[in-house]
Amino acid sequence: MVQSAKPVPPIWCPGCGDFSLLAAVKKAAANLKIPTHDLVLVGGIGCSGSIHNFLEVNGIHALHGRLLAQAVGVKLANPGLTVVAAGGDGDGYAIGMGHFMHAFKKNASILYIVMNNETYGLTKGQPSPTSQIGFEGNVEAPFDAVLSALSIPAPNFIARTFSGDPKTMTTVLEEAIRFNHEGRGFAFVEDLSPCVTYNDTYKLWREKVLDLSKLPGYDPTDRKTMFRLYLETIESGKIPIGVMHRPREVVKAGLEAKLLGELAGPARAEIEVAPNLAAYEKLLAGLA
Amino acid sequence: MTTPAAHSPPLPVGSGPAETRPPLELTDLSVMIGGQGGDGTLTVSDLLGRYFRKCGLYVYTSRNVLSRIRGGHADASVRAARDPISAVKPEVDVLVAFDNEAVDMGRAELAAHGFIIYDSTAFHVDLPNAAGFPFATLVGGPLGQPIFKNTAAYGALSVLLGFDGAKTREVIEERFKRRGGEALEKNLKALEIGRKAALEATGVAGRFSVAEGDAHNLILTTGNQAVALGFVVAGGRFFAGYPITPATEVMEYLQRYLPAFGGVVRQAEDELAAVNMVIGAAYAGARVMTSTSGPGLSLMTEGIGHAGTAEIPIVVADCARVGPSTGQPTRHEQSDLSHLANLGHGEYPRFILAPANPEDCFDLTIEALNLAEKWRAPVILLLDQALCQNTTTSARFDLKHARVDRGKRLGAGDVATLTEYKAYKFTEDGISPYAPPGTPGLWAEITGNEHDEWGHVSVNATNRVRMMKKRMEKMTRARDDLPATRFFGDPDAKIGFVGYGSPRARSWRPSRSSPPAASRPGTFRPAHSSRCRSTRSSRSSARSTSPTSSSTTTPASLRGSCASTCPRTTRSSARS
Repeated sequence: MVQSAKPVPPIWCPGCGDFSLLAAVKKAAANLKIPTHDLVLVGGIGCSGSIHNFLEVNGIHALHGRLLAQAVGVKLANPGLTVVAAGGDGDGYAIGMGHFMHAFKKNASILYIVMNNETYGLTKGQPSPTSQIGFEGNVEAPFDAVLSALSIPAPNFIARTFSGDPKTMTTVLEEAIRFNHEGRGFAFVEDLSPCVTYNDTYKLWREKVLDLSKLPGYDPTDRKTMFRLYLETIESGKIPIGVMHRPREVVKAGLEAKLLGELAGPARAEIEVAPNLAAYEKLLAGLA
Repeated sequence: MTTPAAHSPPLPVGSGPAETRPPLELTDLSVMIGGQGGDGTLTVSDLLGRYFRKCGLYVYTSRNVLSRIRGGHADASVRAARDPISAVKPEVDVLVAFDNEAVDMGRAELAAHGFIIYDSTAFHVDLPNAAGFPFATLVGGPLGQPIFKNTAAYGALSVLLGFDGAKTREVIEERFKRRGGEALEKNLKALEIGRKAALEATGVAGRFSVAEGDAHNLILTTGNQAVALGFVVAGGRFFAGYPITPATEVMEYLQRYLPAFGGVVRQAEDELAAVNMVIGAAYAGARVMTSTSGPGLSLMTEGIGHAGTAEIPIVVADCARVGPSTGQPTRHEQSDLSHLANLGHGEYPRFILAPANPEDCFDLTIEALNLAEKWRAPVILLLDQALCQNTTTSARFDLKHARVDRGKRLGAGDVATLTEYKAYKFTEDGISPYAPPGTPGLWAEITGNEHDEWGHVSVNATNRVRMMKKRMEKMTRARDDLPATRFFGDPDAKIGFVGYGSPRARSWRPSRSSPPAASRPGTFRPAHSSRCRSTRSSRSSARSTSPTSSSTTTPASLRGSCASTCPRTTRSSARS
């Protein structure tokens, strides 16, 4: 048995919503029996982005906002790995917005979890892209990541969970990772994770969350229906949670599957010169 | 460079049938082709380059284009010579003009004996040494489209320069065979139309002749293509980039080459994504590269620093253009060096390799990937626009010395020998063995924050000092792995130039028709001071077959300047 990096105690405040997410990730990985050495957790910058330090995993701490680019690089290099990227709403929707929207387009089979607390907790409570108008003087409209995700015509898995409902979180995360394992593409889960110090929304969110699967006509394979249900829910003052989109077709639509098929991937390709020599000679012979 | 031809008096046009006087033989000629973007000037340049290569000549082509798709003045120049060349020459022997602007721009550079061929469909040139042919009209009728005017111009040029008819035709066949049937047929017809018009004109046929050379078994290539090929041979299997002039072709070549080797090429949404995608792929164990130019390099600076501290091996090919800001995308400058020497906030180890020609680009790209993975640090390949995009004859790339050095990488087979795995373990040689994720039985924490041996974030002062030392010492420890200085030109030269990229090429002059040794400068590509005097025999023997007759030995006359000049240009490896 090789001694590898041990988890360190979380830096989070007692009661932070991120604890529920950490527990759900651990539980989902255990339920799916993912070997620790095959699980990669790419962390962003912010309180939530330090999650990879708090469990046994291959952890890589990315630059602020760049975790999705790194996670896609990991998956394309070795599609055999289970790749989870996790960070906060500032990391994902402000500095990382460009990569966030492109991740849906790319559709690599990775899971991206955003722990949304509607504030920058680590830098002590500034408004974030998802902050409500009036929070710490915020006058800008709050960004709705799930609604934006629904607008991209790609076969992604899209869901929102609430840290106040850990049981559902585990179920959703398991489904998301299974979706990745089937090579179907990108899975995005936004977890509503209150910041108990700077924006304690537990009580408010508990009152406002509405699981769309409880509504008549709920069909996450139908984008049009989900748009309608989603918009009606937010217009009624509620916050939609649950699985928002899941493609009907079970096909290997993941970017890594499209590019590599059954190949092992760049990290596992044979790169020594000798076995490739004939092919290299042929390539160079093409020059005149 | 002067040639006997350059000093010949101008020949009058229409002074009688061409066959009554011998053609002026050119041993080092330059043809400039100018017109509006979309006129097909680059095609004429390509056709001429192919023809000259068939004659065993050294070829160097460059293009003067604007950063736009169509329109605006565009010109290309082809230089061909019996001696090795690696730059354009200042004078033009033949100017091909598709518009008036090309005449205005090209005339100033025209040699005394120079001659102009132009498309007289829309304008007239009132000069004694010019012949106009309405190429667009001539081809427009029989072929239905004026776009074949460029091939007709090539036909007229073939007559002016006394080309061999069969070879002239072969060039067209080779160039257009892939497009097949109609395209090939129409271009062959356009060729004949151009030839016929020139043969019927007075004072054009046989005006010049082009000397045959013995430079066979060479290739025509660019620095960008050489970097792409070097990457493949070095085992590079993951590339991400963002389109930017003049670096884009590296990505485009790799899109062609890599899939056959199980590799992946991605066009990212920006340079931030590109560098972070390669960081992710390198972390996962792939050999990676990205390429960019100044503006993209500015964006990638964050990621390169991250790779330096997190000890993730990435290679960045910087195809420098004119800066700062968006600068001049289609022109070359060497100003990125100062940015690279101090890249990023804070200190981290990095290596900058600056190739001098395509052969160097190929070899150094392989060395860059080995250096990066062995020393677990970012490596930058520093090129410039001219080296990246201009086409030049080069020795065939050599696979004999190609090797893949993965350093202290751990595989599944090594796991049994371990009791613990620390990704940032302090070791004798300063290199921590690395096991990529997926290696059975172990895992690790990787971060760009300061960290302890386990990869856990640390603010401990003692640890900070040890970790900084561990990383920064790579630059001195890696000295013997850095490529040696290369010397070009006369070993007895009294004056030497230190350079990289296209200035290196300019300051070196070939020997066969050069001035005497005393006034002939030598050039050498800088390297770290400790490597200046070294010779690697295995490499120098390979180099000696190069058309540039370069060697890795520094001549006695240049040694004095070596120590003082080298550290300055490889500052990153000199600091510690």
